[in-house]
Amino acid sequence: MIRFEHVGLRYGVGPEVLSDIDFTLEPGSFHFLTGPSGAGKTSLMRLMYLGRKPTRGLITMFGKSINQMEREQLASIRQRIGVVFQEFRLLPHLSAFDNVALPLRIIGRPEKEVQNNVDELLEWVGLGDYKRALPPTLSGGQQQRVAIARAVIARPKLLLADEPTGNLDDEIGVRLMNLFDQLNRMGTTIVVATHSQHIMDQFGHPRLALSEGGLKVEEKKHWIQKKIEGVF
Amino acid sequence: MLGLFKKKDRRLGSSSKRQYDIPLNKNDGADFLVLLIALMTFLAVLAMSGSFALSSMTKRWSSGLENKLTIEIPAEKSDGSLRSSEQIKGFTDKVLKSLEGNPGIKSAVMLEKDDIQELISPWLGDDMVLDDIPLPGLVSVELHVSTPEVLTGLAKDMALINDNIRIDTHETWLLSLLRVTGALQYSASFITLIIALTTIIAVAGGVRARMAIHREDVELLHLMGASDGYITKQFQRHALILAIKGALAGTIAGIIILLIINGVSGDAEGGMLPDMNLNAVHIVALIALPGFACLIAALASRFTVLRVLSAMP
Repeated sequence: MIRFEHVGLRYGVGPEVLSDIDFTLEPGSFHFLTGPSGAGKTSLMRLMYLGRKPTRGLITMFGKSINQMEREQLASIRQRIGVVFQEFRLLPHLSAFDNVALPLRIIGRPEKEVQNNVDELLEWVGLGDYKRALPPTLSGGQQQRVAIARAVIARPKLLLADEPTGNLDDEIGVRLMNLFDQLNRMGTTIVVATHSQHIMDQFGHPRLALSEGGLKVEEKKHWIQKKIEGVF
Repeated sequence: MLGLFKKKDRRLGSSSKRQYDIPLNKNDGADFLVLLIALMTFLAVLAMSGSFALSSMTKRWSSGLENKLTIEIPAEKSDGSLRSSEQIKGFTDKVLKSLEGNPGIKSAVMLEKDDIQELISPWLGDDMVLDDIPLPGLVSVELHVSTPEVLTGLAKDMALINDNIRIDTHETWLLSLLRVTGALQYSASFITLIIALTTIIAVAGGVRARMAIHREDVELLHLMGASDGYITKQFQRHALILAIKGALAGTIAGIIILLIINGVSGDAEGGMLPDMNLNAVHIVALIALPGFACLIAALASRFTVLRVLSAMP
């Protein structure tokens, strides 16, 4: 699904924020991306959703090297990725409905299908009564749910979520993680960047741990052992 | 009509009942772009119709004088003394007789006093008594074909009658006038080109400004997998709608001014002023002008957006 080989990233002429990142995510896997603030979680997410090109190294997505892809091919890859941004990035002039509908419209789905799917998903995330509401009139938690609905509406092959439970109460947070689990069981590969030890412990998926620009993949057994040893 | 455009502008497409993904129709700068395109189209209408009028006038002059010349028996002799009207009449008859036997001549007509009076009346007035003025003898000649051989032969024949007789092929003053009108025509075309370039620069600048304002929205659509075409279409459609508004307003204003100019110049006498009686091709070109302005705006916005998008990963 995703393979990073010796990937490095720097902004401008500054130091590398990510160095020699090597990992592979198998199709249908579920990983938490964790690490202290400033470790490069958002930069790594950005590389994964093709928001930036690496300054070095090779990235392979869906079996194709992105380094050699044409622009149109990159657009097609992006359509298979759902992203929940940390700061939501909703379009403020569009209603909750139209924000969620965007990915389906971009890939050219018929309007009737758009209506049905968006209505259903907004009901599911508890925003059935806020379809016509503009994002600025919604609370932080509601905006986040719209952002999540937008990320999953087109049934992406890969779902990337940057601190998706940050503005949600525990109940909604757990419900959201259950939705991610459900999507994962349906074959979606999921990467969730989070600080929440509670969420990581509860769902127990392997972790991509970033520190000082490098990355370690910690399988479930590994971090359970660390937990037992009192590292966390 | 503008209301209709405003309503349409709120939507992405005629078949779609949703808004633009990017709020392009919510910027005050749009009115400025409409005004600018209106002014540019207005100036282009004036420049183009000016060029067309000059072209018509040039053709009229050229075709009116083609294969024609005037033979003049001057009222003044080489030594400065004046010829009597009888002497002039005598030379004129000799000239006419000589021309009758020339196979290159299609027709030759002596200009009578009345004809000369008609020619000079715009400058000297209708009440002028020509008997008081020493007038030359004038013979209007039409050739079958105006070739250097025919003209040389004619000059020799006239020299045999009197070496003071002049042949005026109208070439000297016509060439000067044609040079002036040609320069004016080129200037008008150049001005039209400048107007087109200014429109392109203005539209491109406007689109760039909008892309800068909505950079985050554009980037988001890009990250969600929107193709360059999907994003470009929205800017292009918006620019097109603004251009339609501006170009129609500018063209209508330009045509009104042309009608006023035509009304004013129609009253003027002399026939030297270019008239605004445009032919069918010119009218079609003027009608096509707003379409051309819209095409320029749409293409300028398209290439600007594509250029900005190409900088995104």
